[in-house]
Amino acid sequence: MHPLTPSKDPAPLTLPSPQGGEGGGESGYGWFPYALIAPAMLMLVVVALVPFLYTVYLSLHEIRHAQVGDWAGLANYRTLLANPRFWHSAGISLLFIAIAVPLEFGLGLAGALILNQGVRLRSIIIPVLFVPTMMAPVVVAILWKIMLAGSWGLLSYNVIERFGILTGTSVLASPSLALYALVLVDVWQWTPFMMLAFFAGLQSLPLTPYRAAAVDGASDLQAFRRLTLPLMAPLMAVIGLLRLIDAFKVFDTIFLLTGGGPGTATESTSLFVYKTVFDFWDLGPASATAVVIWIMFFAFANGFYQIARRKLGAF
Amino acid sequence: MSAKRRMWMSLLAIAMMAVVPGSAAAQGWSYKDAAKPYAGRSITILDEVTPLQENMRTLVPEFEKATGIKVDYQLLNHFEVISKGQADMLSGRGAYDAVMLHSPQMGLLLDAGVIRPIDDLLGNKALTNPGLDRADFIEPAADSLTKFRGKTYGFLNWNYNVVYWARGDLFGHAEEKTAFKKKYGYDLAPAKTLQQMRDIAEFFTRKKGEKLAGQTLDSDFYGIVMEGIKGGTTLWTVLNAFVKNFGGDIFDAEGKPTVNRPENVAAVKFWADLWKFSPPGQAEYSLIDVPTVMGNGIAAQTLAWSDFVLGIDQPGKSKLAGKFVYAGSPANAQGKKRSAETEPSGIVISKHSKQPEATYLFLQWMVDKSTQQILFDKSGGAGVPIRNSTWALPSVKQSKFAGLYVAMQESLKYGSAKPKAPKLFEVMDVLVGLVQEVGLGKKTADQAMKEGQEKVQAICAKCTL
Repeated sequence: MHPLTPSKDPAPLTLPSPQGGEGGGESGYGWFPYALIAPAMLMLVVVALVPFLYTVYLSLHEIRHAQVGDWAGLANYRTLLANPRFWHSAGISLLFIAIAVPLEFGLGLAGALILNQGVRLRSIIIPVLFVPTMMAPVVVAILWKIMLAGSWGLLSYNVIERFGILTGTSVLASPSLALYALVLVDVWQWTPFMMLAFFAGLQSLPLTPYRAAAVDGASDLQAFRRLTLPLMAPLMAVIGLLRLIDAFKVFDTIFLLTGGGPGTATESTSLFVYKTVFDFWDLGPASATAVVIWIMFFAFANGFYQIARRKLGAF
Repeated sequence: MSAKRRMWMSLLAIAMMAVVPGSAAAQGWSYKDAAKPYAGRSITILDEVTPLQENMRTLVPEFEKATGIKVDYQLLNHFEVISKGQADMLSGRGAYDAVMLHSPQMGLLLDAGVIRPIDDLLGNKALTNPGLDRADFIEPAADSLTKFRGKTYGFLNWNYNVVYWARGDLFGHAEEKTAFKKKYGYDLAPAKTLQQMRDIAEFFTRKKGEKLAGQTLDSDFYGIVMEGIKGGTTLWTVLNAFVKNFGGDIFDAEGKPTVNRPENVAAVKFWADLWKFSPPGQAEYSLIDVPTVMGNGIAAQTLAWSDFVLGIDQPGKSKLAGKFVYAGSPANAQGKKRSAETEPSGIVISKHSKQPEATYLFLQWMVDKSTQQILFDKSGGAGVPIRNSTWALPSVKQSKFAGLYVAMQESLKYGSAKPKAPKLFEVMDVLVGLVQEVGLGKKTADQAMKEGQEKVQAICAKCTL
């Protein structure tokens, strides 16, 4: 079998016909589909839309001591956008995702391709790969604290300090290294997720094009570039987008491992918002931050969606 | 008297007290009688979870039984107590009748007017135990926390404090003692001054392969370890254990920022200078890591929260258990004023409570002498006193931590609540990042304090209430 091809043909997917018979389309179901999704949509409105609209409302008002006061217009937005700390935290978040997500993506894809070759003990390896992803971020942070804590962490004491890799400081205490340590933690936790998602995608690819490519004398690399990548592109787009969004929201590990320090070297936007709300109780600027982040993400996700839909056939 | 026997005696005492309390009985006052109008009512209390509060929870049924007041005593972690308690009080939701507050929270909540003063309740003879003995509360902790503009807000309920903690085995080693005296001209002993602490830090900082107490080191050894993380209590320790001992402060008498005053710069410089004798990871050390490092035996001394010491200086927790020595937080040899880092925290009645009287009775019972005695007996003499009378308890005097209690008592003489400043968390967040950068050598003390002054002024021109 071609090394970069799916290991088996997937079972054909069949969908039940609407009541209106063949060619009935959506209209054949009448109101029934809407009734089916209504509870979920209602729940979404209650838990997502209403709080969001309330956040927008708060961002446009003066808030003192958690009490909503007068209409403030865009004052909270002006305060926020003039705050260098917000821009710094946005930069930290972008740098974090710019390093972490491509690494997770690349390593995940490489791992999935290896897994797809029918590796021995795959039935044991796959459940083990789930472990980091299934762990609560707080547990992950504590685990890595035990590994990297200066002078007493397992890795710090036995490797980094013993072999003089880093002197006079520790990984998490170094302004130039702390962010990369957090990236490492994120990569450790989420690469297995990417790997398994890509592996599931590879498993569902049809065999026929690969057989045709093999008959035509295509090399492994050609098959990968011309078949695997295009066929996997929609899945990659979805997984990549989800990971980008999730990586931007990273909070627990940063909060527990560095608290945003040293200085403000690892203060991400999530940490900035948390501090603004729960430490400083500046709910106006905090709400404005949430709205600005939402707008940024909406614009990004929408652009990504359009590109992925048109160019990659995703969504 | 065995600890178990003492505990049973104490339980009997509290049961008696609830119905016929000791000194109060003679004056015809009991919790049972005081609570009669409120029997059957329910109150909800939010406190922070520690072993001491978990012990308190086991005593609550005694109060319920005696008074008929139903108490939902909720314990949450540090961050949740702050966020949930504060949110509940500020929003006016009123889910909690009483909330545990850390002293830095007081400014915001007093400014918002959501803490109910208790002076009317204290003055109510039907409600207040004549044996409450408010003069027995440890000062200046109690008044600095609960008094504001002539009114009283809640009771002192926690009294955490930073003590000096060192390796007794090293300090008692003959060769080390001789070498120290030869080098510094005075005897090696727990530091009484910050300057002595620096000398000790310098003396004990050794490289791998050098000798320490006659043994060849297989890894580096550090003269001191301190909290250095951005957050936690790093700033407060710098401020109260160093800056104030140098005569400085971050606010003047009117509450205006004075971050860049020369005394502050000198103190931060002194503190940062100690970092060269500290483990490389100090900038990430929180108040939890510091005791861990001491327990692991890679540092000679520290300034640490005494309640965390209780968790390390125990057989099975550290190979050095029983070999540590303690003292009060050191003074400045050239200083006129002495200060120590302490965290007096309180339990206050929410303005939105619909049951202030029943809540007051419960809070009063929590800080009652008898209740405090039982708490200490139950914990085997391990706790943090809020009353002076607690120092004299047999469970404290005969405790294996007796030396630690002497150190606590010393530190508590010089510690106060944090300034009542509504924007204190924001100020703290700015300054802690700056002092950490001084410790890391990224900024000079002068630069950091100058920058701090500008940033704090941008947050609040007049910071305290």
